[in-house]
Amino acid sequence: MTFNVMLTGVGGEGVLTAAAIVASAAQNEGLSVHGLHLHGLAQRGGTIPTFVRFGKGAYSPGIMQADADLVLAFEPLEAARATFYANKKKTLFIINDWPHMPVYANLLDMPYPNMTDIVKRIKPFAKNVMVFNTHKVALEKFGVAILGNTMLIGVAVGSRALPLKETSVRNAITANVRRNTDKNLEAFKIGLNMGKNMEIFSK
Amino acid sequence: MNVLEKAGKNVVLLGNEAIARGALEAGVGVVAAYPGTPSSEVPTTLAGIAKECGFLFEYSSNEKVAFETAAGAAWSGVRSLTAMKHFGLNVASDSVSPVAYSGVKGGFVLMVADDPYGWSSAQSEQDTRYYARMMRLPVLEPSNPQECLDLTKLAFDISEEFELPFFLRTTTKVSHAIGTVKLGKIKKPKLKGKFVKDKSRYYNIRPNLQELHKQIDGKLNKIEKKYAKLNKVFKGKGNIGVIASGVSFEYAKELFHMLGINPPMAKLTLTYPTPRNFIKQFIKNKKAVLVLEELEPIVENEVKMLAKDVNPKLAVHGKALLPNYGEYNLEVMMPAFEKVFKKKCGINFAAHKKQTTVSIKGLPPRKPVLCPGCPHRSTFYAVKDVFGENAVFAGDIGCYVLGIFEPFNMQDFIVSMGASLGISHGISMVSDQEIIAFIGDSTFFHSGMSALANLKFNDHKTPLIIVMDNSFTAMTGHQPNPGTGITGVGEAVQSIKIEEVAKAMGAEVRVVNSFNQKQIKDAILELKNVTGLRVIISRGECRLVTKRKLRSKNLEFTKFEIDQSKCTKCGICTNKFACPAIKEIRKKASDEPIYYIEPDICWGCSVCMQICPYGAIHPVKKEVKE
Repeated sequence: MTFNVMLTGVGGEGVLTAAAIVASAAQNEGLSVHGLHLHGLAQRGGTIPTFVRFGKGAYSPGIMQADADLVLAFEPLEAARATFYANKKKTLFIINDWPHMPVYANLLDMPYPNMTDIVKRIKPFAKNVMVFNTHKVALEKFGVAILGNTMLIGVAVGSRALPLKETSVRNAITANVRRNTDKNLEAFKIGLNMGKNMEIFSK
Repeated sequence: MNVLEKAGKNVVLLGNEAIARGALEAGVGVVAAYPGTPSSEVPTTLAGIAKECGFLFEYSSNEKVAFETAAGAAWSGVRSLTAMKHFGLNVASDSVSPVAYSGVKGGFVLMVADDPYGWSSAQSEQDTRYYARMMRLPVLEPSNPQECLDLTKLAFDISEEFELPFFLRTTTKVSHAIGTVKLGKIKKPKLKGKFVKDKSRYYNIRPNLQELHKQIDGKLNKIEKKYAKLNKVFKGKGNIGVIASGVSFEYAKELFHMLGINPPMAKLTLTYPTPRNFIKQFIKNKKAVLVLEELEPIVENEVKMLAKDVNPKLAVHGKALLPNYGEYNLEVMMPAFEKVFKKKCGINFAAHKKQTTVSIKGLPPRKPVLCPGCPHRSTFYAVKDVFGENAVFAGDIGCYVLGIFEPFNMQDFIVSMGASLGISHGISMVSDQEIIAFIGDSTFFHSGMSALANLKFNDHKTPLIIVMDNSFTAMTGHQPNPGTGITGVGEAVQSIKIEEVAKAMGAEVRVVNSFNQKQIKDAILELKNVTGLRVIISRGECRLVTKRKLRSKNLEFTKFEIDQSKCTKCGICTNKFACPAIKEIRKKASDEPIYYIEPDICWGCSVCMQICPYGAIHPVKKEVKE
């Protein structure tokens, strides 16, 4: 079976690194990995949807619509935009409640939605939606908000929403993160514990 | 780094990284490239390891020069590679055909990445496979990262065997796909070669030209005979077949699985010279075939021609059921499969799309934007302050294409590298409109200088040229260019000053600091009514680079903040300047907004302070200095 992860967030905020961690963790487990990392202009503060697929039966680099098993959203607005890939029957959403307001909210007078509104929009396309604020935890604990990215991966692994082993992800972090590796590993561990207490599969 | 892992290991690589690894395993000696999405990671990966692996690497000033550089090395017997985006081949094309006629000594791979859908902000969806037919270059098309590695390596071998440049063609979804790749052994590069004079080969003038033309056709025939075996038939059931190349092959496998079908499939890997016998064999007993290729119906038309000989009744499906614009993906292809194979996948794509479109209605878009502290934002703001909306703003290729969006709307057209100068020259010949031509530093060296010479040469009324010099080829990942002062492998060199080039061409030149509104505006006002060639160089280092430099020294930018007692909530800083770090916050929609600068993403350019009419923005005092 193929497991389809969509990672989404804002360009330049570490989504590609997070995707590289997930992909190389799956590789560490000997699984066949496919996926898509779009580079280029999208990185300049634009939406950056990224796909990682592992296990048998995957060939296409991108996920088909309504076929994501997990949406790992590092930014709430981008989580709301991921519904195209989501499906009531199986898609789990793990969302980091750390809004990154696009300049177009002001320019086009389209207000940034609150979290309740976002979850309401996603619910019809999700088996379950879980909201965390890993950036806030990371900022308080380490003084560096972006460590919330590895923490969110920890939440996904700890809750079993992302079926990968703790050790393979730890090794993937060590291999793919250039700065603050120790802090990233620590952040991952905090996330793991946050996730372990979650009942993500129950409705 | 995965790309340097040991032979025999399985690692996850990006398609472009796998191409770089393939080049290493082929023992590439010389790599020359001009960066361009979606090909950029090929040179970027190789630049980072050139010294360690002992091959020669350069970022050339444009794709034509890069192609010629690699060709010269290949003529001298050294394995060489050049990589470019689809438009890059347009630039290089002048030299491609003659080099193909002459052939090569060392293996020579020309990697070109097409960009259907235009993820790279490309200005057209051109299909470069036509070039291969025009220039007579054999084409290999990988479908996934593993093939990217294997075919790159193979391309060097066959190129050397037939003494012909090889064209390795990808599309975005091949170059940017990730996948498990089994690595082979890295080969030590051979760097020394010698150019051996040979009139029969390098004198491409008549009557030798016709001889070379004949020779290249002979080589292609031989390649077709010997290497048609690179194309594979995957056996299946039924008399309807699929012919696929590139990423479409991957989609097809997944669609078969989803529909529970198993039709025979021919995978084309060597797509030119057209493997005629291979295709004839595949189609001769079929009732119908579905041809899968993104963009133009090139294989489809070839199949139709071949069917006339072996199976005139064959139904050839392709672009009648699938678009020749945009990218293929599973959703786009499924209806064609359902129709041809008379199966239903049971998913209502349209209904899901409609429901999800409704679910995201009213959400603010997140188009790409100029970064916080971007020097281009400051330049655009100052230019607009002087000229308003009415001047013609000639656009060009670089991060500043983002000026096309609100609130600037200052790229009235975007054509190609350096075209802002040529097109605005044409407009100025027949119109009295005020014209501002924007061009970047890398673009200036790439294609701007010849256009500048033309403006001087035909000096009557010229646009006001503004060079937006951020010292790097920023959009593709901060590659250095002739103005940067470092080479592709990080060695210090003398930088070429654009102002000296412009002065040498007889221009009236001003150099201003991009982060100083007054300087920019003063220079514009000074040159606005001057006749003749006028160039303003707005110089400010890409803030992402400055940020990295500071971080390596554990330093921070000086942050700015808004004094709420002075802020009149005029909204200029958010609605006209639109720095992503400045936010307009309302607790409820009916509340008065509060404006504040998010310290995490304030990159300290100070321009918001300069443009605030009420003096409400000032530096945060306690912070350490830059």
